[in-house]
Amino acid sequence: MAAKLPHVYQPVAEISPQIQSKKQRKMSTVSAMPEAFEKYTDYLNQLNEKRERVVKASRDVTMNSKKVIFQVHRISKHNKDEVLEKAAKDLEAVTDEYMLRLVRELHGSDFWKLRRAYSPAVQEYVEAATLCEFCKTGNLLKLAEINRSLLRLSDPSLEPLQINILDYLLGVGDLTGELMRLAIGRISDGELAYAERICTFVRDIYRKLTLVAPLMDDNSEMKKKMETMLQSVMKIENACFSVHVRGSEFIPILGSSDPNFSFLGVSDMDL
Amino acid sequence: MKPLLRLSDTISLHSRLLIPRLFLSSFSLSSPTAFQIPGHKEVRAPSLLSNQRFLCSCARMEEQFESFRQQLEESGGVRERIRAVAMEIESCIRFMHSSLLLVHHSLPSPEVLEKAKAQISTLRDLYQRLSEILRECPGQYYRYHGDWRSETQTVVSLLAFLHWLETGNLLMHTEVEDKLGLDASDFGLDIEDYLIGLCFMANELPRYVVNQVTAGDYDCPRRVLKFLTELHAAFRMLNLRNDFLRKKFDGMKYDLRRVEEVFYDVKIRGLAKDAKLEGTQPSDS
Repeated sequence: MAAKLPHVYQPVAEISPQIQSKKQRKMSTVSAMPEAFEKYTDYLNQLNEKRERVVKASRDVTMNSKKVIFQVHRISKHNKDEVLEKAAKDLEAVTDEYMLRLVRELHGSDFWKLRRAYSPAVQEYVEAATLCEFCKTGNLLKLAEINRSLLRLSDPSLEPLQINILDYLLGVGDLTGELMRLAIGRISDGELAYAERICTFVRDIYRKLTLVAPLMDDNSEMKKKMETMLQSVMKIENACFSVHVRGSEFIPILGSSDPNFSFLGVSDMDL
Repeated sequence: MKPLLRLSDTISLHSRLLIPRLFLSSFSLSSPTAFQIPGHKEVRAPSLLSNQRFLCSCARMEEQFESFRQQLEESGGVRERIRAVAMEIESCIRFMHSSLLLVHHSLPSPEVLEKAKAQISTLRDLYQRLSEILRECPGQYYRYHGDWRSETQTVVSLLAFLHWLETGNLLMHTEVEDKLGLDASDFGLDIEDYLIGLCFMANELPRYVVNQVTAGDYDCPRRVLKFLTELHAAFRMLNLRNDFLRKKFDGMKYDLRRVEEVFYDVKIRGLAKDAKLEGTQPSDS
């Protein structure tokens, strides 16, 4: 045993000069590695910071778009103009203040690279913008129109953010949920015609989307939305149906401006 | 009812079919206030005009969704073509990998490396095709990135391993681009993919060390350890997010430890000094 020990220890004594020479070599010959990694570090830092900024801006867009949607839901029979005017103003503020930050942040290939960071916000924004437009004109706000309004926020030569089809369609998918709420609200307010109009609109969107949804890049998200959308459509249809059946005797006064008139519940009809 | 009929004469049969009859009749009954259009005062004349508007909106929608369908079909086509190329890349990688696996069987021989290197030109062609497809849709590199991403990471790991076997140095990002004939301004190599590829390569090294020692190259652990230590140190300079790259990097320390163990085993038995002593096996700890 004792004879073997030196044999074991001997190399240890030799290690230190070896390590020294190794260190020297590391310094001189392979210094390219840290240098290159410095570049990669810069790249990753910049990317992460940008992503962080995009996420922050997105959060603001989401929050404020939601507020616009809530504002639209405050609509009632007699305050349409003011409510929608305020909603439109709020929406404009979202565009000019928060979307602007997103638009400024994203250029060229960032749209797709960072899409996951901003996609939910853009969907919410599309939802708010299309909801406002529907209440104002009864039309579906086109993607091209939204993108045109974003274009003015920044110098077009910088290739500013343009919302892609996928986010637009996902946003429109969410729109039907909001329209469902709006329709139910309108029915309880006695505006059956408005509700029916929403019903037709939503049905149309659903029908159009059935053609397009399966083609989308990652359609699992859209698939889920399509299911919820069908639920929403059916809710509106059922509500319209029950009003139609129960209220059939009152068709002549469908358009009456009597604010107390409601189609919900038999008790209302007794009034 | 009469104005309504006149209206339907003016619209195409196509869009007329989209309107449920039931609602048409109820709209004609609705009051002007039921659906107001602020900011469009000229459209005060109620139900008839708003119906027309409604029909317009339907046609508008039709038009937009039709163009969406076309665009999505096009991008679906692009994706299919990309996937086809990615599959070819994958089969090319398999060849390259299997020929490179021979390095574990014996001491390094130039033929093994030559055979693996022969695949690089094929890869070059395939990446050329990929970049041509992507050139058709500028700015959408990252839209389809996922379709060739994992293949590219493997390509990087194989190329880097090959390069290390040949030169003992790390293959740099720009060198990979050169080897694959990529142009950073046009169709570049994503840096994260490159880094992940390096992590894959590191996974290969412990096995290589063990087999080289078995085959009698007792100096190998020292070289690998030096390289891997340096690589690990370089990676520690990166500020990583909690993502896949981070996970791979966290795994690298186990490769490092394994190589350290082999180095220790060889060292402590004094095998490194007189390289071809006898067939003493490094003990597996």
